[in-house]
Amino acid sequence: MTGAQPPVATDSDLMLVERTVAGDQRAFELLVIKYQRRIQRLIGRMVRDVDLVEDIAQETFIRAYRALHQFRGDAQFYTWLYRIAVNTAKKALLELKRDPTVSEGALRSGDDDDETSWHGNEPTSDETPESVLAAKEIAAVVNAAMDALPADLRQAVTLREIEGLSYEEISTVMNCPIGTVRSRIFRAREAISEKVKPLLDNQSGKRW
Amino acid sequence: MAHDTLKTREAISALADGQLRGQEFARAVEAVSRDDDDRATWHVYHLVGDVLRSGDAAGHNDLAFVERLQLRLKSEDVVVQSTDAIKSIASDAMNTRDNGQFDTQADSANASRFRWKLVAGLASLAAVAFVGWGWVGGLNTAPPVSLATAPAAPASAVVVAAEQPQIMIRDPRLDELLAAHKQFGGTSALQMPAGFLRNATFEVPNR
Repeated sequence: MTGAQPPVATDSDLMLVERTVAGDQRAFELLVIKYQRRIQRLIGRMVRDVDLVEDIAQETFIRAYRALHQFRGDAQFYTWLYRIAVNTAKKALLELKRDPTVSEGALRSGDDDDETSWHGNEPTSDETPESVLAAKEIAAVVNAAMDALPADLRQAVTLREIEGLSYEEISTVMNCPIGTVRSRIFRAREAISEKVKPLLDNQSGKRW
Repeated sequence: MAHDTLKTREAISALADGQLRGQEFARAVEAVSRDDDDRATWHVYHLVGDVLRSGDAAGHNDLAFVERLQLRLKSEDVVVQSTDAIKSIASDAMNTRDNGQFDTQADSANASRFRWKLVAGLASLAAVAFVGWGWVGGLNTAPPVSLATAPAAPASAVVVAAEQPQIMIRDPRLDELLAAHKQFGGTSALQMPAGFLRNATFEVPNR
């Protein structure tokens, strides 16, 4: 699957975990913002009912929050979160199977790691045609903004976001200093964000 | 102001890529945690990354998801620690990753133990020097001024040590220790205490 790589930012994840354990809940919310879509996609491969997907995702983050003091940093934070999500989804599936009122259609069988079982564009029961259209609009704006970027900015952000290269690796590929890599990636993100933020504001009706 | 905003956002971009360390990391996390606009920037940067990687825009429900989670988190037990403890933990975490860059305002966890070890070492050295001086035979008169002289403000010396990362060379307990050793002034390790000898003076009776 193209670009489906976990983020490389392990040290900053660990430091956000440490801040959370020290009592800063907002640090945990930053991790939630960062990983929520990824976790929802993962759970969506196991559970068909999209109402349940969000509930299980919520439960996953709550469990992760409670267990954060046990996270030692010997594995990547995402890997650890991934395991919690899978276990939470499996537990939910077992409970659902025991519930005679739940139809088989709500469940999804199959390998957790089966990438092909993900149908990311299936509409959810929460989604209206307008919200599906809004999501497609955001994707279109992002892609258009990417196409409009100068070549060096587009290359830098592609290597970072899609190929998952580190700044050091990108500086080698692009034959420029790491500071330049950082600046180009930032400028690319800023250019794309300028187009996306108004769209998000219009869709949500309020600022974050 | 605009320059500061851009600088902050650039730091947020680097934070998203795990590129920040030390004070820069702390400042960026503070900014994203406390400021709504910076938090929105953090969200959009990650949304853009997700869209580029998978084509999945799914950003329209993000706000509701996080708000719902925030409500649930409020009812969770939070490990309550002082702000200084949070800064210390974050600082310690960052210092172990910085190559030789240390936060001079942070005191290490075992700094007080080191100070007491130093005090104990100095006290031992002073005691040995004191005994050695007496063996040479120069202690019957006045004791060495340097050993007898107490610091003018021992309490403030302790305070200074607490406020600044400096080695403490005087301590009230050291003074007590040295004062206790004064009792044995004028003797060597091989001789009996002078006080005992005085008590044992032989008097020739008058005839």
